Amino acid sequence: MNVSFGKFWKSGDPFIWMTGGALALSLIMIISLIVIVAANALGYYWPDRLVQVTLKDGTELLGQRIVSEPIPTPDTPAATVQSRTEFQVANRDLYGADFRWVNDADITARSFPAEALLFERWEWGPLFGFLTTVTQDGKVIAEGFARAWDKFQEIHPRTQETLERIHRIERKEIGDINYALEHARLGLKRIQTEERDPARAAKYVTALEQEIATLQHRYAEKAAELKTLYDENARYRFLVRAAGGKEKELPVAAVVRAFLPNQLSWWGRFKLYVTRLVEFVWDDPRESNTEGGVFPAIFGTVIMVLIMSMMVVPFGVIAALYLREYAKQGPMVRAVRIAVNNLAGVPSIVFGVFGLGFFVYVLGGGIDRLFYPEALPTPTYGTGGMLWASLTLALLTVPVVIVATEESLSSIPREWREGSLALGATKWETIRKIVLPGALPGILTGMILAMARGAGEVAPLMITGVVKLAPTLPLDAHAPFFHLERKFMHLGFHIYDVGFQSPNVEAAKPMVFMTTMLLIGIILLLNLTAIIVRNRLRNRLRFGTF
Amino acid sequence: MPPLHTDRVYEEELQQLRAKILEMGGLVEKQIGDAMTSLVERNSTLAQAVIARDHTVNYLDVAVDESCTRLLALHQPAGRDLRLIMTSLKVTTDLERVGDMAQNICERALELNEEPPLKPYVDLPRMADWARSMLRESLDAFVREDTELALQVCQRDDAVDKLTADIFHEMLAFMRQDPQAVSRATRLLFIAKYLERIADHATNIAEMVIYMVKGKNIRHISPPPASV
Amino acid sequence: MPEVEIRQVCLFYGSKQALFDIDLDIGRREVTAFIGPSGCGKSTLLRCMNRLNDLVDNVRVTGSIRLSGGEVLDPTLDVTDLRKRVGMVFQKPNPFPKTIYENVAYGPRILGIKQKARLDEIVERSLHSAAIWEEVKDRLHDNALALSGGQHQRLCIARTIAVEPEVVLMDEPCSALDPIATTKIEELIHELKQQYTIVIVTHNMQQAARVSDHTAFMYLGRLVEFGKTDKLFTTPEKQETEDYITGRFG
Repeated sequence: MNVSFGKFWKSGDPFIWMTGGALALSLIMIISLIVIVAANALGYYWPDRLVQVTLKDGTELLGQRIVSEPIPTPDTPAATVQSRTEFQVANRDLYGADFRWVNDADITARSFPAEALLFERWEWGPLFGFLTTVTQDGKVIAEGFARAWDKFQEIHPRTQETLERIHRIERKEIGDINYALEHARLGLKRIQTEERDPARAAKYVTALEQEIATLQHRYAEKAAELKTLYDENARYRFLVRAAGGKEKELPVAAVVRAFLPNQLSWWGRFKLYVTRLVEFVWDDPRESNTEGGVFPAIFGTVIMVLIMSMMVVPFGVIAALYLREYAKQGPMVRAVRIAVNNLAGVPSIVFGVFGLGFFVYVLGGGIDRLFYPEALPTPTYGTGGMLWASLTLALLTVPVVIVATEESLSSIPREWREGSLALGATKWETIRKIVLPGALPGILTGMILAMARGAGEVAPLMITGVVKLAPTLPLDAHAPFFHLERKFMHLGFHIYDVGFQSPNVEAAKPMVFMTTMLLIGIILLLNLTAIIVRNRLRNRLRFGTF
Repeated sequence: MPPLHTDRVYEEELQQLRAKILEMGGLVEKQIGDAMTSLVERNSTLAQAVIARDHTVNYLDVAVDESCTRLLALHQPAGRDLRLIMTSLKVTTDLERVGDMAQNICERALELNEEPPLKPYVDLPRMADWARSMLRESLDAFVREDTELALQVCQRDDAVDKLTADIFHEMLAFMRQDPQAVSRATRLLFIAKYLERIADHATNIAEMVIYMVKGKNIRHISPPPASV
Repeated sequence: MPEVEIRQVCLFYGSKQALFDIDLDIGRREVTAFIGPSGCGKSTLLRCMNRLNDLVDNVRVTGSIRLSGGEVLDPTLDVTDLRKRVGMVFQKPNPFPKTIYENVAYGPRILGIKQKARLDEIVERSLHSAAIWEEVKDRLHDNALALSGGQHQRLCIARTIAVEPEVVLMDEPCSALDPIATTKIEELIHELKQQYTIVIVTHNMQQAARVSDHTAFMYLGRLVEFGKTDKLFTTPEKQETEDYITGRFG
């Protein structure tokens, strides 16, 4: 018994089982995390049927079934346990709550009315109900479901086009005018503070004031146009009867999309599903981030990771090159190396605080005083922004790049270096032509690790430039196109904000999962790209054995 | 003696080569002695035995050749070892020739035994002793790697040559006196020549020993140098 | 006049002396072999000639090495210039992870040659000289690492002679190769002797005997014996040499 156990132990089998088991456990945990996220996220946009439920007390409900569960009653035997169901009844403005729990025992009838409509609205969340009338300028133009629905479908696209036009004017055209106005105002301010020659100052001031007047005139024109458009949209309204008899009248333009969930074919559902997914990825958020898309957050995340990579890789590589190739190896270098490794263990919030203190206040404040004094006290660079957040993350991830680069530099065979030196190459030529190309796959591995780490960080960003809702992207048509001083949105922070800071947590829950999945997907995509690039390089560099 | 070889098998084979040369040398020396005995004592049986034994000498010659070939092919010898093998190759040829000389002496002795003796032999045994001792000493020099001794052997060659000349004149005198003696005198002259050749071979061996030990070639230099 | 004159060279690793008063003349367009047991300093001496020892910390060399009359050990000398004149082939074939063409063109490019036609010509000539042209001419732009070990070493030789050095140092160039590949390299050394001065360090005494004109036997950092190869391998003068070449060592 003892002998055979000893043999078993010596054979190494237990160790193999142990290692395999550890791996399996890790895999199970990771896979279940992804499965939970995916399951919760992917189902969210699938258009469910609307069920109409009549309760014992005569109340009627129209909604989507969310979940059923047994009612936790400790004293009753299992067989008689009652269950309850959660419905999303929507119509937040009518009922005050989106969700409602119903005891299954109370339900007397269920039906799936074909005429039940689901309106997705720009504000106040979805609306479930039955269309009764459509009005134009206060006059009823269609009555009864069939005719009203036809009319609605006819009018709705027009209103959305008008709305799009309104958005364009508000965002783009008026935005441009405002931008120019701001510019002119700052110019005015600069002249007042800087220009010594009163004659010339007066000339500039006149010119600028004239420009401002023109701009204000154009602004007024646009405002008038806007008003016309708003008025046009306000003409069309429709009346909806919600379950329970309450009625609600609202403008057709307030609806994003309306459909009959109980009449949809599978194909129709699928098309709708895809439309909603696309909307999620490409649109701006609505309803304090709980609805609509997350495009600004995706954009912010990707741009930030890219800027961070552009900053961190050269820095890390150069530092590692010095440490490994040029510095005289000794206690000093060893100490630096240990310090770098330890830097990777500093809590990320500490980096955030440092970023705020050093980058934002010292560097940003300095830049403002030097280059943007006219805008003060409104800070330009002296507040959190894309650049400072990226720099902070670069600082956070630089140890990863240094360690990975050093590792790969030390794996370059001595023979290659000596071969190059023996041909009369200088040390720098050797590093540039032999060592760095050979170390490139390792450097890219470092970059991948840094990107993965950086894309997943939230804490330091919260104090260096991330906001829950950024009005503009850091990239637009105004020169210099990249506005790295702007605040931006980030998927990681979006998750936190939607999940924990939202007024309507229940409604926002699926959004959290969707965003999480998206973030994981984006990190995966970034990494895959880097991995593919790295493997290409590696294949080019090392094949054959020797 | 040099330190032992790192490769034990190689060392062993080199020792065996040396041993074979010595065995061959000893045998050849005995052949000369026996040949001379058979001549002096007119012992035809002994002469026959010597002739029969030449096979053994030839066999040893081939064996030494093979050993040397093997060593050259397998161990790529250099330096001292290479010189030992080169020397062995030459020495074994010389010894084989000496063996042949002994056989020739016996053949002449058998022929002489069929006729009455011409005269008591004095110079020939002396010459044979000289030649034998030169051979023995050259082999001793080989074993002991003694270049002094080898040089002495080389220097003694002249004395043997002189003795040969003496015998030649003595035999000529016999032949002039008695035409009947011509055939016997000629045979004895042959034997003297054989002994002279044996001494020459012994000199060759001694010269090779000097090459083996010092790496210096003193062959074909006359007179031989006083020292190496 | 000898190509390289080594005089009184001593080398120290920190306080440990590794070479003791080496005096040696290396003849022009001859092959000189350094033999000796491991750690005897033969590679170290070789690396003094192109100052590759400079890469090691705490190395101090005294004495004089003159290459065509110019002092190699002069601290103000531009070692990259020196290394262009003194090429080196290493024990382990070390082709760069680049194409065959780029491997050979590496040295000329460092020298500042940029014209494609010149480079093409240099690459072809060097590969010819290194007796590998026929084997690689159809795949000059394949990765060099895909070649065999013997081809690697010949490629490295081609790479070395592409900069037309005066002296080619070879540090046990065949120790990682099979006998056939070794034979090819040895043939190549005979060919290269027409144009270059070659110094070869080898563990293989037969190789030294086969390829070299002069052989230096080193032991414990000292030059024990230096002379014509045939002389050294048949009738060495020193007992230590004799013992080493006949395998009576240790």
